[in-house]
Amino acid sequence: MAADGTRGWGPGGPWPERDIADGFDRLIAANRLFGAELNPSVLKKSGKGTPFLVRKPPLRHRMLALWRDLFENRVAPGELLALLSAEVHGLAHGDGLLLFGSDRLLYDCQILRGEESVGHLTLDLYRERDRIVPFLPFPTRPGHRVVYIEGISLTRQSTGYASALFRLYERLFHDLGFHLFRLKASLSVGKYYWAKEGFECTDREQFQEVRDGLWDLVRRLGLPVFEQEVRRLTHMSDVAAFRRDLKVPVWRDREGYYTFERDAAHSEEFLFPLGKAYLLCAAPWDGHKVIYTDTPRRTAFVWSEKYLSHGTPVGHPEGLRRLTALREAIRREGLLGSLIVTEPYMPGMEALHAVHDPAYLEAFREAVSRGDRYFATRDCAIGAGSYEAALLAAGGVMAGIDAVFSDRSDNAFCAVRPPGHHAGRATAMGFCFVNNVAVGASYARSAYGVARICILDWDAHHGNGTQDLFEEDPDTLFVSIHEHPSFCYPGTGRRMDRGKGAGAGATLNVPLSPHAGDKEMIGAFEREVVPAIEAFRPELILLSAGFDAHRDDSIADLECTEAAYVHMTRRLLELADRHCGGRVVSVLEGGYRVESFVASALAHIRTLQGREETPCSSAGG
Amino acid sequence: MFVGRRMKRDLVTVPPGASLSEAARLLKANRIHHLPVVEEGRLLGIVTDTDLRNATLRGAADEEVGAPRTVGEVMTRDVVTLSPEDTIDDAMLILSRQRLGALPVLDGDRLAGIVAKTDVLSALIDTLDIEGIGVRLEVILPRDMGEVTRLSAALGELPVEVRSLVLAPHGTDRYAAFVRVATIDASGVRERLRGKGFDVAELSDFYEPG
Repeated sequence: MAADGTRGWGPGGPWPERDIADGFDRLIAANRLFGAELNPSVLKKSGKGTPFLVRKPPLRHRMLALWRDLFENRVAPGELLALLSAEVHGLAHGDGLLLFGSDRLLYDCQILRGEESVGHLTLDLYRERDRIVPFLPFPTRPGHRVVYIEGISLTRQSTGYASALFRLYERLFHDLGFHLFRLKASLSVGKYYWAKEGFECTDREQFQEVRDGLWDLVRRLGLPVFEQEVRRLTHMSDVAAFRRDLKVPVWRDREGYYTFERDAAHSEEFLFPLGKAYLLCAAPWDGHKVIYTDTPRRTAFVWSEKYLSHGTPVGHPEGLRRLTALREAIRREGLLGSLIVTEPYMPGMEALHAVHDPAYLEAFREAVSRGDRYFATRDCAIGAGSYEAALLAAGGVMAGIDAVFSDRSDNAFCAVRPPGHHAGRATAMGFCFVNNVAVGASYARSAYGVARICILDWDAHHGNGTQDLFEEDPDTLFVSIHEHPSFCYPGTGRRMDRGKGAGAGATLNVPLSPHAGDKEMIGAFEREVVPAIEAFRPELILLSAGFDAHRDDSIADLECTEAAYVHMTRRLLELADRHCGGRVVSVLEGGYRVESFVASALAHIRTLQGREETPCSSAGG
Repeated sequence: MFVGRRMKRDLVTVPPGASLSEAARLLKANRIHHLPVVEEGRLLGIVTDTDLRNATLRGAADEEVGAPRTVGEVMTRDVVTLSPEDTIDDAMLILSRQRLGALPVLDGDRLAGIVAKTDVLSALIDTLDIEGIGVRLEVILPRDMGEVTRLSAALGELPVEVRSLVLAPHGTDRYAAFVRVATIDASGVRERLRGKGFDVAELSDFYEPG
């Protein structure tokens, strides 16, 4: 079998080392493989010039070791070169070289239109080393495999080339098992297209500047845009797609650069949607993109440090240790690179008032700013950061909903606290202040025109707040599976409660007897929950995901294990695939024994990503 | 608690001359089972849905006599009644012992209200706060008011709101105290009470899968 690229692309066994070595020899003979070392003078000045110095190739065994580490020998050298230089949009690569650095492989080429050189591209392929102790350089362990776009330059903006090339590369590096796709070069060219392709601003402060610039533009042009709409933007792709309904004039010069002011050079007028026009003219920014390797579904992970600022007293079950432990575990398990980490944002008050009484929220804010130790009831302990954290938790669900509707992710897990499902229109109880899923449902309706929403609540406690808010709404199916109210807080959620008025039949309560375990939980889920959701045909599924039905969690008397959460998550995704394009936004509620909570939440997240877990149990089905 | 406080005052009644079908319609429309039969404000009897059904069946079986036509013909004349000064305890005992469904309440000779089984159940639901937010704990105490005092002091020290507290006899020498607390962390409350030497039952342990 030839090892130089004649084999078709597809899953196959790894190449034998001998074939890899032969491939190196062929490329060396063809003057397409060299050694390289970084050019420190260029790096220091970060000016123009070649970022590396070409040398003779390193020793054979060092090249083989690097190849193994980067590709697990899933691709041969000549094959890689051929795949990287595929022709896209009439542009081809010339003089493509592979260069071996001490810990990285470089790809360098000219971008050609016919014979003419129109640009230059350098890729940097390496593996990050995770430091085991964060502040010590050693020891380390192998981390993510990264594709770094060291530099790309094009002599003119060639519409669509960058996005087409990166779509190709994304696929290629996905198949090769790479985790991250980063772009170092400042996006002076094609920044709109790259934003549209999901490249994210590397630096949060720089993103803040982009957002501020957009708001300045809106004010300068006097456009009918609320500040809240701009403040809500959290990703470059949101900016690129912002307010497609508003058309803004821009002027282009011969080189293909755009400005908002007409002048001698910029004389060709175009009308573009606001977000596109803004990014075409905006200052350069540094972008990167995450690509996903072994997860069939893209899962957004909504998280903010501010969720830790809701301080509760020592011994309070709903402590911040829950989230720090979950974050540590996600890092430890190497899940971070495969999750689309998403920042929540502060929701506008109108989004909150759609669910909560303004006077109630104001009383909550005042209690926090007065320094009260609890709000409304002794369970609801508060600290200085509680008001902001509670609002940001609702904003986290909104960010998760944005992620699935903008197609940045297939589903989302919102690791928020404080939890929300006991909170009613004007009631705080059971550690809850703002009903996060309810705010999310209302936001999905107003922002994305979703009509039929299913809220499934598998926390061990009845989601009484959510039920109260939606029991008269026929378009919201609320399904809660929980420990029987005669034994467990909050003492509501009996089977006979099926909704009220127009919403009669759109509430389903499934109480479980004390000591019920996986068999009973999964059985009830299959017998009652699945058919109800199936019949309702939701356009979005929100999940109040509490993990306190676990047998190690003493707050309730249920005795489930991670297997139940895996099973229910998987079945829920199947339902979502059938009815709503896989859109599931899972929102953290309870789960107080840290170990069992972390294990259950991890299993849930891994299943959301579509990873294979323990086989689906058929209990009760 | 007096019957006058719990009885239903907005009454649906029927005159003795009303037809059986009219009585049946009233029962169905108001989702009730008992109709006081009233003439000039005076109670003559009571008619239930069972009376109506039996009358119809009897009429069909015995064609010569013919089916009764009016409520007056089928009503129970010997009615067990209450007065507003009677207590809910009285009502509960009568309803339970005589297996009745509802008791008219007479103020002098005027019909003032009615107490049905469901009204008594509602009183019980309210007393035990079954519909309110909370979890029930069961504490077994020696039959000694000192222990009851100690329990209420212990509850007062906990960071929880007590929604209801019912003290019931438990055998001959003990009390069972049913405490309904408004906290999600009921297991924490149980642990703290046990730490103070109280015998707190795990309610869930009484559940035996069938």
